Amino acid sequence: MKISVKWLGDYVALPPSVDELARKLTAAGLEIEGLERPGDGLRGVVVAQIKESVQHPNADKLSVTQIDAGGGALVQVVCGAKNYKVGDKVPLATVGTKLPNGMEIKQAALRGVDSSGMLCSSKELGLTEESSGLLILSPDLKPGTPIAEALGLDDVVLEVNVTPNRPDALSHLGVAREVSVVTGAALKVPQPKLTESGAPASQSVKVRVEDSVRCPRYGARVVENITIKPSPQWMQDRLKACGVRAINNVVDITNYVNLEFGQPLHAFDLDKLAGQEIVVRGAKKGEKLTTLDGKERTLDQDELVICDRDRPQALAGVMGGGDSEVTEKTTRLLLEAANFLGSGVRRAAKRHALHTEASHRFERGADLDAVVPAIERAAQLLVELAGGTVAPGLIDIYPAEKPPRQVTLRFARVEKVLGVAVPEAEVRRILEALGFQKLSESAGQATYSVPRARVDVEREEDLLEEVARVFGYDNIPAKLPRGLASLAPEPAHSEAERRLRQAMSGAGLDEVVNYSFVAPKSLEVLGLKEQPVALLNPLSVEQSVMRTSLIPGLLENLSRSVRHQVESVCLYETGRAYFRDSEGGQGTRPAAREVNRVAGLVWGLRGGGRSWTQKDARADFYDAKGAVEAVLGALRVDGVTWSLGGPAAYHPRASAEVKLADGTVLGHVGELHPRVVKSLGLPEGVFVFELDTEPLYSAARLVPEYHSLPRFPAVLRDLAVVVPVELANDSVRKVILEVGRPLVEDALVFDVYTGKPIPEGKKNLAYALRYRSAERTLTDVEVTEAHQRIISEVNQRLGASLRA
Amino acid sequence: MRDRLQALAEAARREIAGASELPAVEALRVRYLGKKGELSGVLGGMGKLPPEERRALGEVANIVKAELEKLLAEATQRAEDAALEAQLQGPGLDVTLPGRAVAPGSRHPVSRTMEDIVRTFSRLGFDVAAGPEIELDYFNFEALNLPKDHPARDMQDTFYVDEPSLGHAKKADSSVLLRTHTSPVQVRYMLQRKPPIRAVMPGRVYRRDSDITHTPMFHQVEGLLVDKDVTFAELKGSLDAFVKAFFGSDTRTRFRPSFFPFTEPSAEVDISCTSCGGKGCRVCKQTGWLEVLGSGMVHPNVFTSAGYDPGEVTGYAFGMGVERIAMLRYRIDDLRMMFENDARFLEQF
Repeated sequence: MKISVKWLGDYVALPPSVDELARKLTAAGLEIEGLERPGDGLRGVVVAQIKESVQHPNADKLSVTQIDAGGGALVQVVCGAKNYKVGDKVPLATVGTKLPNGMEIKQAALRGVDSSGMLCSSKELGLTEESSGLLILSPDLKPGTPIAEALGLDDVVLEVNVTPNRPDALSHLGVAREVSVVTGAALKVPQPKLTESGAPASQSVKVRVEDSVRCPRYGARVVENITIKPSPQWMQDRLKACGVRAINNVVDITNYVNLEFGQPLHAFDLDKLAGQEIVVRGAKKGEKLTTLDGKERTLDQDELVICDRDRPQALAGVMGGGDSEVTEKTTRLLLEAANFLGSGVRRAAKRHALHTEASHRFERGADLDAVVPAIERAAQLLVELAGGTVAPGLIDIYPAEKPPRQVTLRFARVEKVLGVAVPEAEVRRILEALGFQKLSESAGQATYSVPRARVDVEREEDLLEEVARVFGYDNIPAKLPRGLASLAPEPAHSEAERRLRQAMSGAGLDEVVNYSFVAPKSLEVLGLKEQPVALLNPLSVEQSVMRTSLIPGLLENLSRSVRHQVESVCLYETGRAYFRDSEGGQGTRPAAREVNRVAGLVWGLRGGGRSWTQKDARADFYDAKGAVEAVLGALRVDGVTWSLGGPAAYHPRASAEVKLADGTVLGHVGELHPRVVKSLGLPEGVFVFELDTEPLYSAARLVPEYHSLPRFPAVLRDLAVVVPVELANDSVRKVILEVGRPLVEDALVFDVYTGKPIPEGKKNLAYALRYRSAERTLTDVEVTEAHQRIISEVNQRLGASLRA
Repeated sequence: MRDRLQALAEAARREIAGASELPAVEALRVRYLGKKGELSGVLGGMGKLPPEERRALGEVANIVKAELEKLLAEATQRAEDAALEAQLQGPGLDVTLPGRAVAPGSRHPVSRTMEDIVRTFSRLGFDVAAGPEIELDYFNFEALNLPKDHPARDMQDTFYVDEPSLGHAKKADSSVLLRTHTSPVQVRYMLQRKPPIRAVMPGRVYRRDSDITHTPMFHQVEGLLVDKDVTFAELKGSLDAFVKAFFGSDTRTRFRPSFFPFTEPSAEVDISCTSCGGKGCRVCKQTGWLEVLGSGMVHPNVFTSAGYDPGEVTGYAFGMGVERIAMLRYRIDDLRMMFENDARFLEQF
């Protein structure tokens, strides 16, 4: 909220500089987010009176004026405007002034006539967007007065960030109290004195509160003989500083007192209240009210309204109604200051999307004890500024006055929780200055009554907080936490996840972080049939359901990069996919199933882009598989199997299901289905993978087991076989290893070839076999014999033939 | 014969001296010293000589042979040196061509920053915990001392989940939402174990807000320490230590009173501006300070939600926005870049 420093000074002596004031308030918990000095740009501009004006000898459009700027001798200024007469008071920018528009005023000669300054328009002073001619000032001003002071712009406005727990600070008096607590200066609260006259208020209006839970206190006064006119300049200046538009004296007074006490007020035109009656009651279903903003609103049963005999006249705690609005013709007022329950106001304000100064305060909790002082203060101002007379009798309906809350503070707790020994006398001073009244005390503790304005203080911790913030967080030492009783084990899977990221990075994939919510269409297009968890209030349909796959995000990333002429896109993301859970949400059980995954995408030129070291090779299935294998290798997950085929999003003949040795499906890798590619408008040759990470991490062997090095040399032999194209490498390799056991240590496929001279429908597979024995050096004869056996077995079992 | 030998030696010396390339030197070796070479040719006639003369001539021939071998070895060395020298003088490689390695992939700045924050706290003995992102209202708000209709709920605009889409057989116990902060993990974590506790909880959080400085999803790291007699002074010390470890040892911290429903007393933590060191600049809006953390002593109502006795234990909690810290760290000036995943953005990290 905006706080005028000038205004604040009415209630408490301020520190010498505004910066110091801001620092102190911030340190005590009222964060000053900004300082506005509206008059700052007007230094050097003063009130000046035009004493004489003659035609410029060399220019038709210019005049030469003699100016009294308060300095004794007259000053000569050349001026182009015509809208003044001699004797007018106008702003003079003296020599050396820098105007808000950047113009610097220099001693100059205009067409041969000396000019010492410039007479200004309101536009030149940065006060308005447009203006014609000089700004003519009030004749009461004294020449030489700084213009900022003359225009009420010599204030500083503090932008205070009042946290939701501190509605007591949503007023100038509330902030002044904080100032008095941190500086020790006395707080001066206005004490209005009223003279009542005329017929008693009770004859003019009857007030009935039907719901004293939602309206615990209703205060009102009748003020008559009102003359509606603009409020005085000082009040308008203060309201303007706080961002409130001046309307007329009555409305301005209610707003002023609200900003002063933090108690919202409303003035009804008493003559427009049917039956001269006020009833505070729940709205009837379908009842209508046109609020002050001119909108007709249909009310709901659980909303509280202020009614006259016939109909609602205000939405309680939110906004008044148009029917009983104060107008130029108003002479009799019902002035209302009431207290409404926060939760009800909040619901009503939300439903009607009406966030007002009043609802803001009531939602947070207004001070029950502010009702009467605020209404008396407003009545006093109505007498002073609107010529009103106050009808005898304050209406104050307060059926269930509750005693103030009591909170006990054990003084030893201060050091125990804060870690610093605040002297007990200081603790007492702080609490008492904040308005807490000591009720009783016994050994080591005291019980305080809580001011009703402090709706946030309920328990001992709240008092500790008060002590801490006023004592100053800066005065509390910083200590490291005491030693550990034991070392927490490395969190499950965090090392595995680290290695996965390293492997992905090593494979050349860039990490991305995508939103967890996606467009339903982006899942449908991938053939993901499972119904996603949907948001009730998404920002857009593009972000309306929780992803059941990480792939849509990656495809979106790909599109973006392709649009930007990137030639190689290799991405991965770790994160969750979200699924319905028919048993979810009971007790502490999560509402949905969240599955940790890693997904990746490979597209475009292999190896990150074009390179002189290789022809422009495009990434294919094996690049994507290679990235997955890099992860499996980094985690030492052995025995993973790959079988042809994948879900609907994948090319059925260029994708694989990835399974752990125990049969657990990890996920899939493969080419995106050509139809998906087409419908998303993606380029061809997109390869993706997506794996569940929990089973992967569980299968990880993060600590390798050492095998002693072989003592005998290996013998290397190559083997090439021609097999049907559809026969998988794994099938051939399996036979080789099985037949070759125990001498064949490994068989590595190093070439796959189709084309001449290999017959159609066949392919040539070449393997590098490594023979070794753990007991002896193998002889050429036994290796040759084993090799022959393998060849004939492979031929027999797989219908293969040895390539000539 | 002796003359022929001398003439041969003379010619050989001359030719070897003139040979500069390896093949020429090799040819001379074959011509003079080879099995059918000229020396052998001269000595072939020696059998006809009387023994004394043969012996004398043999000695001379051996001397000549030894000399020529030495000269040839020298010539070979010379030629090799020259060849190497020529090679070393030849055209160099274009060393400006790029190397052959695959460029490693980059780490997303948010994920890296989050990992680094967690690692820093793990040096202070903090465990790492996770919790659901699709969360019950109870854990996200009520258990954290944020009852329904509490105005502080306005601080966090919430995405609610359409409950029928959850497929629950029965209606969930409380309404379901996307967690607005990582704080619900505190309660879940405490419910699962007894104090003492120290843990950090990193993760995604969601708020219904999207503009130049807000994205509807972002990341937080939450921290919690609970034990007997934990003090606000320790909260200050721990966070100050974190800030110095993470941002540099000359970074200062400032603790300001603030409000969070789940802590009391609460503190915002500012750090001296990482860009100007506290003198005031555009990054810190001339204040010299940057707000990076929220913190406070765990509110007794939160302990009660978690089944702890607030009379027995105290604790502190803190939370920070990872994107904010990543932006400061990498000097990223547009939050929205974080989730656009533009290749030209990613490749910088």
